[in-house]
Amino acid sequence: MAANPLQPYLNAIRRTLEAALCIRNFPSEDVERHNKPEIEVQDSTNNLIGKPLIISRSPLERTLIESSINSVRISVKIKQVDDVDAVITKMYMRFLTQRADQFRILRRKPIEGYTISFLITSIHCEEMILSKLIDWIIQFMYDIDKELSDMKITLSKRARVVAEEYMKQLL
Amino acid sequence: MAKNTSSSAFRKIDVDQYNEDNYREEEQAELQSAPVGPDEAEITALMNQGRHIDALKTVLRNAPLGSKNQQIKDNALNLTLRVLLAIKASQIEEAVGALDRDLVDVLMKYVYRGFESPSEGSSGHLLLWHEKAYVVGGVGSIMRVLSDTKRA
Repeated sequence: MAANPLQPYLNAIRRTLEAALCIRNFPSEDVERHNKPEIEVQDSTNNLIGKPLIISRSPLERTLIESSINSVRISVKIKQVDDVDAVITKMYMRFLTQRADQFRILRRKPIEGYTISFLITSIHCEEMILSKLIDWIIQFMYDIDKELSDMKITLSKRARVVAEEYMKQLL
Repeated sequence: MAKNTSSSAFRKIDVDQYNEDNYREEEQAELQSAPVGPDEAEITALMNQGRHIDALKTVLRNAPLGSKNQQIKDNALNLTLRVLLAIKASQIEEAVGALDRDLVDVLMKYVYRGFESPSEGSSGHLLLWHEKAYVVGGVGSIMRVLSDTKRA
């Protein structure tokens, strides 16, 4: 995996996540007995939010990591070069986000401008092993690129066969 | 006796603002003459002489982190990025090694700012910078980027 061109990008993300995922249980300051992910609270006076960090690999490919005292939001923009990419990515993400409950940390709606978002709260960190959680996200990002390009290849292969069959009739 | 009205405007009053123990952003009295950022002419001169590492040191030391003026910050960012991108990949390790801990933190801040406006080829280079700065600064320097109020 060392020779992977994606590696420096993923390393930077992993390190940033290690720093950002230093979170703890923290009850809401606004509403008594509420406990909400502070990063999702839209409030200009909120001072529990850290500086949002962006790690980009190219203008088309970037990751946004927003941290707060009890939650971290990670948004990934996956490279989409052409319309086929865009369609495949859109369908795939739809498939995933519909099953967000099973993924637990998946956010149902991505942040604007990004393809997919995760929301990790302090509860997730307590229930799961933090280092494994980071590993999973990195692995996910590594796999998703491969998966999407595989799908694109399969799609064009199929299109070629279909076109061939269709043209045969005209002979 | 209080008059009964149907007005509910009083519910909208922000009573919290009258609290005495409200958190207030520390008013940083403009101590030591407002930072004006690095001197572009000086940096350009250093770069032209090929002394990139000295240019890097100078630009980071004079970074206007405490400044409230976005224009000054943006100018400093552009200048810093120019220096960062001018240094060759093979020289990065040496350059980071020449910085002290505080400057590594400042460097990290600029690396992250640089990621926000990616241009062709810049991100790959910045990823290298990130990697080398991490080796020296560790998780702590990323943490300080996240939490410091003096932002690049």
